[in-house]
Amino acid sequence: MSSSDSVNEPLRIVGKKRNSPLSIIYQIRDLKQNSQILKLLTDKEIANKYRKSMLGILWSIIEPVLLAITYYFLFAILRGNSDKMYSVWILLGVIIWGCFSRTLQGTVTSLSNNSSMIQTVFFPRIIFPCVNMLSNIRLTILSCVVIIPIMLIAELPFTIHLIWVFVAISMAGLLGFGFGLIFAPLNCSNRDMEHLFRFVTRAGFFLSPVMWTIDMALEKGWGELTLFNPMAVPLTLVRDGVSGNPPSIELAWIGYSFTFLVVSWIIGAYVFERNQAEAVKYL
Amino acid sequence: MDYWCIRLRKKPSRGGEVSMTLTTVELDNVDLKFPRSSGLLSSIKSIFGKKKEGFTALQNINLKVNSGEVIGVIGRNGSGKSTLLRVIAGIYPTDEGTCKVRGEISLLSGLGTGFSRHFTGRENAILYGSLLGHSIQTMENYMPEIIDFSELGEFIDQPLRTYSAGMKARLGLAVASAIKPEILLVDEVLGVGDPNFREKSMDRILSMVEDAGTVVIVSHSFALMKRICSRMVLIDKGKIVEEGDCDLVISAYYDLYPKKV
Repeated sequence: MSSSDSVNEPLRIVGKKRNSPLSIIYQIRDLKQNSQILKLLTDKEIANKYRKSMLGILWSIIEPVLLAITYYFLFAILRGNSDKMYSVWILLGVIIWGCFSRTLQGTVTSLSNNSSMIQTVFFPRIIFPCVNMLSNIRLTILSCVVIIPIMLIAELPFTIHLIWVFVAISMAGLLGFGFGLIFAPLNCSNRDMEHLFRFVTRAGFFLSPVMWTIDMALEKGWGELTLFNPMAVPLTLVRDGVSGNPPSIELAWIGYSFTFLVVSWIIGAYVFERNQAEAVKYL
Repeated sequence: MDYWCIRLRKKPSRGGEVSMTLTTVELDNVDLKFPRSSGLLSSIKSIFGKKKEGFTALQNINLKVNSGEVIGVIGRNGSGKSTLLRVIAGIYPTDEGTCKVRGEISLLSGLGTGFSRHFTGRENAILYGSLLGHSIQTMENYMPEIIDFSELGEFIDQPLRTYSAGMKARLGLAVASAIKPEILLVDEVLGVGDPNFREKSMDRILSMVEDAGTVVIVSHSFALMKRICSRMVLIDKGKIVEEGDCDLVISAYYDLYPKKV
């Protein structure tokens, strides 16, 4: 027991509620101070996801490989699509959308699903949604290993533009995280949120350029409209990166998506910090 | 710097002989309300400002606990005992008043320290220590002591879902006694262990107090509490109705809730 330390330590107030529009700064500070816990819990989250599985984490690579084969069979062989790369673009869309939807749903349920830990020990609760986001980003990056053999088969060049793959994954994760934070405290009192967001992510799958591309939408004349969807940018960036090209979207739209990400995170951080302490009373 | 008085197995009068006490827990006019479940619309409104109505769980709680004290909290089910511990642990925010603490806090709840049912006892122990700010290496170093005290043996590497309630309680106390928090909050944990372990637990709690720790115990086992507590508090409907010597508080309890013959 560090009794000598505690003698010097002043009494500190516990159970304070934060109500600052700059909550995002406090959250980033909390996350930095608790980086060890963040890493430990992220490792545990991933280990827990694949527990009792013989192939374990390899599933995060096997799943996209199987999906790639399925899409190739469906679009290139059965439908005879003229664009040989179409099935690859669909696969990349599904991987990026998967990162976004899992992060969004995981963030919304991050407080309600961790009630036993929340009720046992106090530590910054922003860690829960952050662990969910980091584990999703890590698993998505691992899934992207499947891109290497695909690029070799399709004779696509390995260029510096592959960096956009990582930018796209990070954007998808952060968009799901920031937006989900707004609804995480609400889900403690009303579980309607998690059902609502299950629908939102399913509907968004078809409304976003996952099974289609921005180019296809532009040909039909409603391409610009789809770019208002902030997920359109990461979904397009990943395809540009793999095809070895610079971003095909105007910089203004990339800026729009990035601004959407930052603003939703600032609002999410504020709503989360303001309400999380009260929300845990429902757990 | 152990220059404050150590109270052991005695029931000293409040204040009294302590030459230099250090307040470790201070609750000042604490009120806490639990929100009532309501519709989606009012929940959304509450997110953006309008506070929901609720029922009072704690009302006007004033309590000061010093280092080296073992405080027992008694009261009927639903009187607010566990809520009080969670306020001290910082889990529930106060609606009015302030709760101040000094030093590291560890809460052992009746359900055990288990975070994840699927993690092993060892993993849970390391995780719990990490959450309290101890490095993984430090927790690894504590493991032999934790395994020895909890008597879990090879079960330490089994998932927590295979543990009995008693085993979870043993692991919880073993971890807490290894990391030696300044403030230990015990919520109905001692009752679930076997008599042998209960005896061992009490000895350990007292040795923690010897190191100038503070222990707050919630339990319904009055006999057990009388043996280890230096002071007791009776809570009824969220209010402290009696505080002081163990015999006095226990008799106040029976005045309030007479035994049915």
